[in-house]
Amino acid sequence: MAALSPEFGDLVQIKKQLISVIGLCRERGLVHSAKWASELAFALNPLPMNEMPTPPPLTEEDVQDFDALCLAKSYFDLKEYDRAAYFLRGCSSQKGYFLYMYSCYLSGEKKKDDETVDSLGPLEKGQVRNEALRELRAELSKKHRAGELDGFALYLYGVVLRKLDLLKEAVDVFVEAIHALPLHWGSWLELCNLITNIEMLKSLSLPDCWIKDFFLAHMYTELQMIKEALQKYQSLIDVGFSKSTYIISQIAVAYHNIRDIDQALLLFNELRNQDPYRIENMDTFSNLLYVRSMKAELSFLAHDLAEIDKYRVETCCVIGNYYSLRSQHEKAALYFQRALKLNPRCLGAWTLMGHEYMEMKNTSAAIQAYRHAIEVNKRDYRAWYGLGQTYEILKLHFYCLYYYRRAHQLRPNDSRMLVALGECYEKLSQLVEAKKCYWRAYSVGDVERMALLKLAKLHEQLNESDDAAQCYIIYIQDVYSCAEPLEHVEVSTALRYLGQYYFKNKRYDEAALCAQRCCDSNDAREEGKALLRQISQVREQGEAASADVSHPCVFGPLSNNNTPVRRVSPLDLSSVTP
Amino acid sequence: MNLDRLRKRVRHYIDQQQYQSALFWADKIASLSHEDPQDAYWLAQCLYLTSQYHRAAHALRSRKLDKLYGACQYLAARCHYAAKEYQQALDVLDMEEPVSKKLLDRSVKEDSVVTESVKDWGMSPASISSSICLLRGKIYDAMDNRPLATASYKEALKLDVYCFEAFDLLTSYHMLTAQEESDFLDSLPLSQQCTEEEEELLRFLFENKLKKYNKPSEITVPDTVNGLQDNLDVVVSLAERHYYNCDFKMCYQLTSMVMVKDPFHANCLPVHIGTLVELSKANELFYLSHKLVDLYPNSPVSWFAVGCYYLMVGHKNEHARRYLSKATTLERKYGPAWIAYGHSFAVESEHDQAMAAYFTAAQLMKGCHLPMLYIGLEYGLTNNSKLAERFFSQALSIAPEDPFVIHEVAVVAFQNGDWKAAEKLFLDAMEKIKTIGNEVTVDKWEPLLNNLGHVCRKLKKYEQALEYHRQALVLIPQNASTYAAIGYVHSLMGDFESAIDYFHTALGLKRDDTFSVTMLGHCIEMYIGDTEAYIGTDIKDKLRSSLGAPALMKLLDTSGDASEFQPLNESFMRTLESSSPKPEKPSEASLRRTTTLEFDMYESDMMLETSMSDTST
Repeated sequence: MAALSPEFGDLVQIKKQLISVIGLCRERGLVHSAKWASELAFALNPLPMNEMPTPPPLTEEDVQDFDALCLAKSYFDLKEYDRAAYFLRGCSSQKGYFLYMYSCYLSGEKKKDDETVDSLGPLEKGQVRNEALRELRAELSKKHRAGELDGFALYLYGVVLRKLDLLKEAVDVFVEAIHALPLHWGSWLELCNLITNIEMLKSLSLPDCWIKDFFLAHMYTELQMIKEALQKYQSLIDVGFSKSTYIISQIAVAYHNIRDIDQALLLFNELRNQDPYRIENMDTFSNLLYVRSMKAELSFLAHDLAEIDKYRVETCCVIGNYYSLRSQHEKAALYFQRALKLNPRCLGAWTLMGHEYMEMKNTSAAIQAYRHAIEVNKRDYRAWYGLGQTYEILKLHFYCLYYYRRAHQLRPNDSRMLVALGECYEKLSQLVEAKKCYWRAYSVGDVERMALLKLAKLHEQLNESDDAAQCYIIYIQDVYSCAEPLEHVEVSTALRYLGQYYFKNKRYDEAALCAQRCCDSNDAREEGKALLRQISQVREQGEAASADVSHPCVFGPLSNNNTPVRRVSPLDLSSVTP
Repeated sequence: MNLDRLRKRVRHYIDQQQYQSALFWADKIASLSHEDPQDAYWLAQCLYLTSQYHRAAHALRSRKLDKLYGACQYLAARCHYAAKEYQQALDVLDMEEPVSKKLLDRSVKEDSVVTESVKDWGMSPASISSSICLLRGKIYDAMDNRPLATASYKEALKLDVYCFEAFDLLTSYHMLTAQEESDFLDSLPLSQQCTEEEEELLRFLFENKLKKYNKPSEITVPDTVNGLQDNLDVVVSLAERHYYNCDFKMCYQLTSMVMVKDPFHANCLPVHIGTLVELSKANELFYLSHKLVDLYPNSPVSWFAVGCYYLMVGHKNEHARRYLSKATTLERKYGPAWIAYGHSFAVESEHDQAMAAYFTAAQLMKGCHLPMLYIGLEYGLTNNSKLAERFFSQALSIAPEDPFVIHEVAVVAFQNGDWKAAEKLFLDAMEKIKTIGNEVTVDKWEPLLNNLGHVCRKLKKYEQALEYHRQALVLIPQNASTYAAIGYVHSLMGDFESAIDYFHTALGLKRDDTFSVTMLGHCIEMYIGDTEAYIGTDIKDKLRSSLGAPALMKLLDTSGDASEFQPLNESFMRTLESSSPKPEKPSEASLRRTTTLEFDMYESDMMLETSMSDTST
């Protein structure tokens, strides 16, 4: 892990930079970047009087456009984007030009959103386009080629390209924007959304600015490289950002991603103490509470947030989760829908919506929702997994194999995807692959304790009795070792098989032991007793009698149709099964 | 009596457009001067101006003035023309040919009266004969005799190079091909008839009016005609240039500026309408056409605007046809309306009727290649590639450098399976477009790039194909068929994972695309068949090292303590740490069956796309 940038030695300098970039962003209506920078600046010590940075001097062009800019900015703040654009159309200054283009862009976005809300449910989104984008792209690309774009305009160009799905071009432009203006967090964040893997991250040449460390930490969180992310954030805290709520929330999210629920809950509670009216990230918090089934806490959170602002995406997600936990799935779906109306690019809501539709057995709607989630963020493994599940219900096994595989690629060491893959292969009668998957699932640490059992059944089916027995043995060993009395049905199944197996192989001691254990459980008691009787019978006959008397199989073949079903609903995917 | 004072008064009244008063006094003067030819001429003139054409003609012809004086002959013919008596008008003009010569000779030789009077009448013989030629051309035009009309116009222009009307009639009705136009312009005796400065001016203005759509190029205003930059006609021709370079936004800026300065600038209207259609500004076109119909119900362009509006809003082709045919009945030779009429059928895939309309347009506009192009397109759509080819080659003979035509020829070659030729032609078209700028930036050309991609795929140049499709995507993003094409190329390259991705994207944009659905199914099968069951190293000897029966016994006896198996698990975990990239094995054999699925080549897109480039012709 690389050390932090040396610039962190001079926090005063950093604070000055932050303050100046807050001003720049605010002038241009880039509220989110301004907010991020302000939060960070707030975490640092206040500057003395003489250190306060002065705003940059005005250029000739700025003075020329000053009145138009003032007017347009006030229209812009009132969300009258077309009006703002109209008064800015002749502006020659960089600021004026950016605000002009940005107004055009936002006007198109606003119209698109209005259209979406007016005419269709959120599921039909995507039919409505931002019509302004293509013109903006043409215009900006012309300017870009002439090299007339500044950092902010480059950022906007990148956003336009991303919206048009021209991702490759967008990455290049964002990198350029970052080089032009490293302090603008928005560019970093957009770039972050476009990076799909660590190789891609490494291949980009980014400026060595202190802000890069924040970016890397964020990136590691997104790429599920939690260990690295936590290290980064820890060192950022050490260097002086301990008061930053942003970092706390990011660490909490990181813990959420590695399913360390306790830590995450702790941090989220801490976050709520420090910033009680915060709404961001609270949807993640509610996911954790949901997984833990902490009804009271979730209810408290939901009511609290609804009081702060009930028309926020996060609030709606929290309330949706709350209803989902109470099994009121229609209501939950309603709230997720509302969240999506408020912001169609809200990833979490799409995925959760998909889950709710799954609960309501509305597969086509679920597929739509999951697809949207993937459109927003290709790295969302829950959505991929959810798609796999829906296609499994629809019996389109090739498709679901593909989706499970995508989920598996994103989380290679998650047994649930592997088990799902194995099941698919089984259904497609590709038993070799299925076996491999199950074994792999067991090896990476099976959360559901299902893989071995399934593997054993497979072996059984293929008459590979030795292997099957081995699997059952390991299974039983696992179950006993974790000292939790669970799944007695499966344990007894295993014991029954083992008993029979040993009996066939004339290892009567072992068989007897298994049979005895069988008697411990209710459903296998009779078989156990029967086996015991048989064993004693055989023993009575003694070794004198020929050993190869074929014994009638008392149990009959173990039926295949009682293959255990996975019990994890997709809702729990983000969860920790201890 | 001082008749000169009265004569001056008559001119004065004519200048003031008080024709009745002028007529009254002209009549009196004619009587007072005992029917002086000149006074009779002015009487006829006044009668003409008060729309009493027959009286005027009679006034001249009864006195036989039309046989003696060129001016009178011209006026008499003009009266007949105005009264729509074309044959008589022609008779007046034709029989006088030798006489007019005589008249000319006489005026040169001795008859000082006539010379004087001709001078007095304020007309040079050249300008009269030029007017006569122009009128003859118009008569022929009205009688549907286009070749003779063309010849007459040319004659008129040669006699008087300033005669803009003849030039305008020649160019705006597409009587000559672009090549003929420029040849003719070169053959004009400009240097004899005007000063050097004027010659330059004239050349610039005329060249401005020449055909612009046969090939893309830039336009520049020379310094010598400084001050004309803001002349609306020049601005309009600049706008037209932008229009034909497919830079509609720029064109719209210019035309809307012209429309502000001069709300119904006649030359600007067609371009403006075309631009509004291209930018689909339905509301603005609606308002404009309403105003036009209110103000100029007799002008075909008004009804053309209405027709274009209905054509643009879609599903209103019936209405569009009604108004377009109104435009053509108002003026039969109004070509754009005929072409738009054809489009209204083409949109509905009524190929035969569309072609009929295009054929009419082709007859009316001899020098324009667009009707040929559309006819070819229609034949192509009805799978008649032989005929399509023939019409394209005709279009090509008129406009050999139009990338649109070259593109269509290439499409035909593609359909005939001649990939090499198609690629060459596509690249040719590309070359032509690049004369405007180094890069293709106009989204009109997205199909060309996509088609290049298809051709490259056919020629197995997969990397290039991808590059072309990617460029197409930059021009028109979020296009389902481009994504499907990219997916297809990826699948042919054996990269099923990307292929699946792209087909998914395509289906996300267009849910019922059968090609993508089929291909997706195949690709997923191939992909699953190709790849390892999971990511990560294979675990060999998986159960060898596991525990045996005695251990189990112990386990079951003790029911719990599993500490001694710990190392076993750890060894498993170690083998799993390293993960290997998954292998990709392209399997060619099974892909063969998918290659038979072919892409349609977007002819329909292409057609719609070329369709509007004529609206301002």
